[in-house]
Amino acid sequence: MKKLIVMIVAVFVVTEVAAHHFYSKFPITLKGYTGDKTNSVSYSGQIARHVLHDSLKKLAGKGDGGSNAAEIEAQMMKYFKGSKEDLDIIAPKTKGDFKIKQTTLNQISKGKNLSGKTYKGVINGWPGQMTGPEVIEFMIKKAAQTKGGFDPATGYNYPQLISKFAMGAVFYNQAVDNYLDEKMAPGSKTNDKPYKDGAYYTYKEHAWDEAFGYWGAVSHGLGLSAKQNYDITKMKDMAAADQNKDGVVDLKSEYNFAHAYYASSFDKGGKTNYYNTVTQAFLDGRKIIAGAKGEKLSSSEKAALQGHIAVINANWEKVIAESVFKYAGSVYKDIVKLEENYSDKAFSTYAKHWGELKGFALALQTGKSNLGETAVKLNRLTGMGPVLMNASQVTGVDSAGNYIKEEAQSWGEFKLHMLKIQKLMVEKFGVKAKGNDMLADMSSLASKVGSSDSAEND
Amino acid sequence: MLEYIGDIFHHFVDPKKRVFLGYIALSVLIALLWLVFIRKKGLKSAIFKVFDKKILLSGSAISDYKMFLINRVLMLVLSPYLLTQLAVATFFYYSLLSIPLSGLISFLSDTPTFVVAVLFTFVFFTFDDFTKYWVHRWMHKWPVLWALHKVHHSAETLNPITVYRTHPLEGILFSLRGAFSQGTVISTFFFIFGDKVDLVTILGVNFLVFSFHVAGSNLRHSHIDIKYWVWLEKILISPAQHQLHHSLDERHYDKNFGAALAIWDWIFGSLHHSEDIDNLILGVEDNDFNPTSITELYLKPLKEISDIAAESLSSFKSLNKIFKI
Repeated sequence: MKKLIVMIVAVFVVTEVAAHHFYSKFPITLKGYTGDKTNSVSYSGQIARHVLHDSLKKLAGKGDGGSNAAEIEAQMMKYFKGSKEDLDIIAPKTKGDFKIKQTTLNQISKGKNLSGKTYKGVINGWPGQMTGPEVIEFMIKKAAQTKGGFDPATGYNYPQLISKFAMGAVFYNQAVDNYLDEKMAPGSKTNDKPYKDGAYYTYKEHAWDEAFGYWGAVSHGLGLSAKQNYDITKMKDMAAADQNKDGVVDLKSEYNFAHAYYASSFDKGGKTNYYNTVTQAFLDGRKIIAGAKGEKLSSSEKAALQGHIAVINANWEKVIAESVFKYAGSVYKDIVKLEENYSDKAFSTYAKHWGELKGFALALQTGKSNLGETAVKLNRLTGMGPVLMNASQVTGVDSAGNYIKEEAQSWGEFKLHMLKIQKLMVEKFGVKAKGNDMLADMSSLASKVGSSDSAEND
Repeated sequence: MLEYIGDIFHHFVDPKKRVFLGYIALSVLIALLWLVFIRKKGLKSAIFKVFDKKILLSGSAISDYKMFLINRVLMLVLSPYLLTQLAVATFFYYSLLSIPLSGLISFLSDTPTFVVAVLFTFVFFTFDDFTKYWVHRWMHKWPVLWALHKVHHSAETLNPITVYRTHPLEGILFSLRGAFSQGTVISTFFFIFGDKVDLVTILGVNFLVFSFHVAGSNLRHSHIDIKYWVWLEKILISPAQHQLHHSLDERHYDKNFGAALAIWDWIFGSLHHSEDIDNLILGVEDNDFNPTSITELYLKPLKEISDIAAESLSSFKSLNKIFKI
C-alpha cells in the first residue's frame, strides 16, 4: 500500500514537473467564454508559416536552369503568397522512422501566407532599395531561373538567401516588432478582451502565443538537451521529438523550427543557453498572463512581462548574430581554400556560406530597433554579393532587375572583412558561442605561450 | 588577498615561470656538480657555498624578496590594463590581410604541420630573445631608461629572485616588448600558415624556454660562476657572462645584454667572455642610492626621470630663446 502511494505521488510529481516545463496547456481565462475549449494555447498559424518557409526553401532549389522557371516560380509564389487550394508540405517531410504527422498545410492551419507578414521596411543590404516582400519576390524569380538555386554568375545561392532572410523578415520581425512590441504596449487591446470576436483566448494570451510560435521551439523543449533539440530538426531523434508517444511527429508542437533550431545548434557547444533562456522567458511570460485570469494586466504584471520580453529580444538577436559570426568564419575558410585550389565545388560551397551569411545579416536588421551604424558597417563588410573568381562583385540592380557587377575588392580584403564582421558581432551583440572563430586558434596559441607581465629582468 | 597568495604560489609551481621549484632544484644540482667536479670542492663545502647565508640573506637579497612581493601586487592590479600579445597579434593580422600578399606566399601552404610548429617555436623564441637584447641595451644606453634599470643593477648579491628586482615601470616596458614581439610573430605565422601553427612544448612550455630553464637559467642571477666553452659563449650566455654584466668594473660596462642567446652580443659587438675573477663586485656607481631601501628603489628612479625631463625642458627653453633672438 505504502509503495503504491509512493508511486502515485512520484508519478504526480513527475507529471507536474514536466507540465511545468511545457508550453502547451494553459486554462481558458477569457471571461464569459461558454464553449467547450479547455486549452487557451494556440499558435498553429505560425507553425503553418514555418512550414511554408521550409517548403519555399526546398522549392528554391528545384529550378533546372531555365526550362521549368515559370512553373517553379508559380509554385514558389503559392508558398510565399498563400493559396486557396491546400498545399502539400514539401518540407519537413517524413524521413525513415521520423514520421511527420501532417502532409498538407491545411492540416495545420488554413489560409496562411508569408508575404503578408514580411517586414515592410526597405532592405538596405540588398541591391535595389526594395521592401522586404519585394526582396523575397525578386529572389524567388531569380531562383526559378537557376539550376538548383545557385547562380554561378553572381555567386547567389537563393535557397539560403531566401530562407535566412525570411526567417528574420517574417518570424523574428513579427515576434519582436509586432506581437511582443505593439501588441504588448500601452494602448493595445487589454487582456480582458478576446483576441478577436468569437475567440476563446484573450488578446494578450494569443499575442504571446503567436510570438512563441514564431520562435519555433517544441512545446517540451525545456526538458530536452540542446543536442536533442538540435537532432529533432535534423530528424535524428524520434524519441525526443515524439513527446506524446503516438508514433508521429506533430509539426504543431513536436518539431523545432527556424531560430529555435539555430539556438540549439549553438547551445550544444556548451557555451550558451539561448534556447532555454528564450523558451523559459516565453513560458514565464505566459504564466503571468494566465495568472491574470482574464483581467487586465496589473502594472506589476506588465513590468514583469516587459522583463521577459527584453530577455527574449536580446537573446533572439544574439542567436542571429551568432549565425552571422559563424558564417563569416565559414566564408573566410572557404576563401582560404579557393586561394589554394580552385574547384567548382569549393566555389559553390563558398557561395552557399556567403548566402547564409548575407541572409542572417539581413535578418539581423529586421528586429525591433534600428541598428544604425552597425547595420551600415555590416552591409558594407558583407557586400551586395560574394567576390567572384574574376574579381568582380554584384553592386546593384538596373531598372530591368538585372544585376550590375563591378570590379571587386581583393580576396585579402574580403577575408579581412569577414574577420571584421566577427569582431562587430562580438562588440555589438556579445556573441559567445563563436562558431568558426577565425581568431580562436590565435588566441589559444597566445594563451599557450603565456603572458609577459611578470616584471622580470632577464 | 587569496588571489595574491595564489599568484605568488603560482610562480613557484608553474613550469612557465623561471622560479618554478623544479628549475630551482635543477639549478642547485648543476651548481653542486660544477663546484664538485670542475671547481674540485668537497660536497659539504659546495653545499655551503650554494646556500651561502651571506648571499641569500644579504641586505640586497632581502630587498629583492620585498620587491618581488610588492611588484606582484602592482602587476595584479596593472595586468588587466596592459597590452596583450593577442591584441597586437590581432592588429597585425588585420594589417597583413589588407596587403595583397596571399599570392606570393600560397606556395607555403603545403608545408607539413610539424615543420610549421618547429619553425614557429624557433622563430618565436629567437625573435623574443632578439627584442630582449635590444630593449635591454636601450635600458643601459638611454638615461631615462637607465634610471629604471639601475634598480635591477643595484643588487650587490645575486640570487634567482633578483630577476624580479625590477622597477614596475620597467616591468610595464618589458610587458609591452613581449606583447609586441610575440604578437607580431604569432600573427605573421597565422597569416602564412593558418591553423597549422602550433608551439612545440614540454610540460606546456615552449621547449626552447624549457631547455633554457632546465639548463640552469636561474644561475644567471647567482654567485655560482659557471662558464661555458669559448665557442659556446658566443652562442649562449653563460651564468658567469651575465654575472660580469652586473660587475662594477668599468671593463664590463655595457657588455652581455643577451638573455638566452649570446649571438646578438657577438653580432652587435657587446660580447664579453667569462673571466676567472674570485670576488666580482656587483652593483652600480651611485653614491646617493641605497640599494636596500625599498622606498628609494621605487621612488628614486621617478625623481631621476623628472630631473632629466626638467633639464631637457630648460635646455629646450634656452634653445628657444636663442632662436627667438
